[in-house]
Amino acid sequence: MRATLMPVRIADDLYEFSVKDPPEARALAKALGDHPLALEVVAGLDRVAVQFAAKDETEVSRWLNQVAAPEVTHEDAADPIEIHVKYGGDTGPDFEAVCAALSLTRAELIELHTSLVHRVEMIGFTPGFAYISGLPDDIEIPRLDQPRTRVPAGSIGLSAAYTGIYALAGPGGWPLIGRTDAKLFDAARDPAFLLTPGATLRFHER
Amino acid sequence: MLHILTPGLQTSLQGTPRTGYRAFGIPYAGPADEVSMALANRLVGNAPTATCLEITYGGFEAELEATCTLAITGAVGEILLNGTPVHAHQTLHGRAGDKLTLSPPQFGARAYLAIASGFQAQSHFGSTSTYLPAQLGGHEGRALRTGDRLTALSTGQATATLSTPEDLIPVFSDAFALRTCESAETHLLAPRSRDQLFNTNFVAGRQATRMGIELTGPPLEISGDGLMKSAPVFPGTIQCPQSGIPIALSCDAQTTGGYPRIASIARCDRHQLGQIRPGNSVLLLRRTPDEAVREGLEKQTLLKKWLGSALP
Repeated sequence: MRATLMPVRIADDLYEFSVKDPPEARALAKALGDHPLALEVVAGLDRVAVQFAAKDETEVSRWLNQVAAPEVTHEDAADPIEIHVKYGGDTGPDFEAVCAALSLTRAELIELHTSLVHRVEMIGFTPGFAYISGLPDDIEIPRLDQPRTRVPAGSIGLSAAYTGIYALAGPGGWPLIGRTDAKLFDAARDPAFLLTPGATLRFHER
Repeated sequence: MLHILTPGLQTSLQGTPRTGYRAFGIPYAGPADEVSMALANRLVGNAPTATCLEITYGGFEAELEATCTLAITGAVGEILLNGTPVHAHQTLHGRAGDKLTLSPPQFGARAYLAIASGFQAQSHFGSTSTYLPAQLGGHEGRALRTGDRLTALSTGQATATLSTPEDLIPVFSDAFALRTCESAETHLLAPRSRDQLFNTNFVAGRQATRMGIELTGPPLEISGDGLMKSAPVFPGTIQCPQSGIPIALSCDAQTTGGYPRIASIARCDRHQLGQIRPGNSVLLLRRTPDEAVREGLEKQTLLKKWLGSALP
């Protein structure tokens, strides 16, 4: 018997669960997603939110208060997806600042970023935006105090120990280290998303 | 059927929100003011979320190329049909060659133009709503331009002449009050800032878009470094970056965010976000989730009497 999770009410039409890590968040979102009372289920990195209709409040509360922690299954390791990146310069305006924050030279940061196999933990923010783990956990890169109002498509940023890729131009708060030409999201393509949660990838300097 | 002569600042087709895809990073989109859009659709005999034109700040001109039944709601200035003033919130009957003009509104931001049967539009991920950043739905996924031609789903449909009941016509001003609940990271606000959140007349910042509205004022104080792991956000979520200037997310809200979620605008008042313009005053009214649900159901009941169906 797995432990019951305790959801927290985060809006009049939202409950949210806190979980241990992204694999558990993905597993819980999958377990809740097909329920008829759920209007929308969204996994964060360590949270899963469920949106519901006001008229269903009582039933939803009863349902979500008896949800057990999910079984986490291991995702298959397919070949890593190759992503080519132009680091620094105009395409990575915060590259130098990130080097300074980590006390790394330009070459060391690129070596660190390209030597590892990374994993897509979550797609979120805007269509196709990938949250990618792989950098050592002790890396702590703060977000920008004031988000940029426009970040170009393909921009690659770092935040905490995550790499993020902006699939579309739009506002963004992650310090930017480079850019890729890879098309992460294309509504006309099937599948529309290049990267999916759980997929592995490697970065290369272009 | 509708030939766009002057689109105005931003005019797009909006219908049902694009639900079911937030887990893939795809925002809802849909009308910024769903209540005004539902009222427009009602006047031409459509379902509440049939595809309409959302017109931002007026300055819109179009020529009708066939006989059609129309209605306009939301934030409107003067409306002219062939140079003759006509009213918002009533069914209009147009003929081929008629020219429709919407002047900028004094208050509010967005008008809705409904046509009997609804506008034809492209559908992506099950919705015709335009999401501009990813070019989804609507008319080629973009804002309308001079020369664009829109058509209705069907023609020749005669519709009774109706008017929105007086008590359901929203009156816009330069001040908005939004029922709001505390959220997942409200506790990260310093105690002083927590009181300030519900006692401040915020001023809508220059960034007032379909994605969100900055609430400017004395900066709020977030304890710690304000960093957190990216977590789900929705239309209505109020995030607070380290700058202390909160942002209320609207219909095009991103699906996750890494700034503390200090509050959430209640479901029943989220449609008002679509009418706030830069410089307007915004007051957040504190409600418990239970109060917000109850008051929301009351509002739904009033609307349902006229609309015939509940809003989603």
